[in-house]
Amino acid sequence: MLLSFAAMGLPDRLRDPLARGLRQTVLAPLLKLQEQSELISASLSRYQSVVSQRDSSALAATFLPELRNENTRLRSLLGLGQRLGTGYVAAEVLHQSVPTDPLTLIISAGRKHGVRPLAGVVSPEGLVGVVSAVDEGTSVVVTWAHPEFRASAMASDGSVYGIVAAHGTDGPRSWMLELRGVAYRQLVPDRTLIVTSGLGGVFPRGIPLGSVVGVGREAEGWERTYLLRPAAAPASVSHIMVLIGQRPGGAVRGAFDSSGTVR
Amino acid sequence: MRRSDKYRVVVILAGLVTLEFSVRPRLGDDRVSPDFLLLALLIYTIRAQPGKSAGAGFLVGLLRDALTPASFGAGALAHTLVGYLSAWSKAVFFAENIFVNGCLFFAGTWVRNLVIALASGKLKGGMLGWELLVWSPIQSLTTAIVGMLVLWLFGRHLAIRLGDA
Repeated sequence: MLLSFAAMGLPDRLRDPLARGLRQTVLAPLLKLQEQSELISASLSRYQSVVSQRDSSALAATFLPELRNENTRLRSLLGLGQRLGTGYVAAEVLHQSVPTDPLTLIISAGRKHGVRPLAGVVSPEGLVGVVSAVDEGTSVVVTWAHPEFRASAMASDGSVYGIVAAHGTDGPRSWMLELRGVAYRQLVPDRTLIVTSGLGGVFPRGIPLGSVVGVGREAEGWERTYLLRPAAAPASVSHIMVLIGQRPGGAVRGAFDSSGTVR
Repeated sequence: MRRSDKYRVVVILAGLVTLEFSVRPRLGDDRVSPDFLLLALLIYTIRAQPGKSAGAGFLVGLLRDALTPASFGAGALAHTLVGYLSAWSKAVFFAENIFVNGCLFFAGTWVRNLVIALASGKLKGGMLGWELLVWSPIQSLTTAIVGMLVLWLFGRHLAIRLGDA
């Protein structure tokens, strides 16, 4: 019991190496087994949906070269540089059967796959979280449900900016997000899509976070906090993509010189 | 106790650990699927002394914590507590009966989730209510059913007191 309390009180600088050591030694073959099981499960149960997604992607890709050429011509006319792209690493989520599992996830991609701390993690639905620790073959992801998660966000049309965080665990509306710091005079209609703004340099611009379902609370005459229905559910997501190779500063800021002129 | 019996127990427990990482991810929602790792611990503890059970619980909990850093230490505390209480209560109160052991598996899983939820401090309010009143009972039930199945299939191989080894 005393050892358990000692483990709970360990500071992060001691806790992380201990957890990493266990993951890379005793648990490594078991995590590999779970990864293989996830892959087999995906190949069997999700075959039809994967085939459908592939067909849709193939159809969309048919028009891609034309759109890309058109985009290049327009950017050239406007004097903009090349659009900044990001690479990604696909990985399986290795869920655990304990109540706090949705707050932090173990994924089957690590340092050898190119994953770095503070890399954004997305699913096809939207943002899942951010990488907090990286091992050789696995990584720890802090999801949006974690109390310490924050993301700079904006409405999809760019009209409103704020900070998105987990709504908290009190009350009936748990497992929701909230958009904080919106000026009182700015009203955000219900069902407005909220995406990452790219400010702060952690997440690229435009990743869906959630859609507005109402006003959570308001400081009279000062600011409003809006409740969001999350785009991605960490508890049920099985496959994710870790964004790698994005420029520090995010897609928007990276497209401009320090002087503010467009490259 | 014969040496072959001891090996059989180790093989059964190792089999449950393997199932946790190979079969459980394919059984659907992780919040309700049976916890084979906890089941292996509980099967060990009902045959072992409370002190050894608490030690085994601490090790299992620490491994669990390495996989769920959001509640580091809470898992070790919960598994230590459940391991000790399971061994102690089995020795004092419970009879050799599959249904009674099933009730022990149910209670052990629910108490484990309760301690993790409270000790981690991350789940409160409605989230804690859903966890303790909806998801945990379902997971406890599935774990208990699998546990009773394991005892029914391998009960005679497990009918030994590891503490006497």
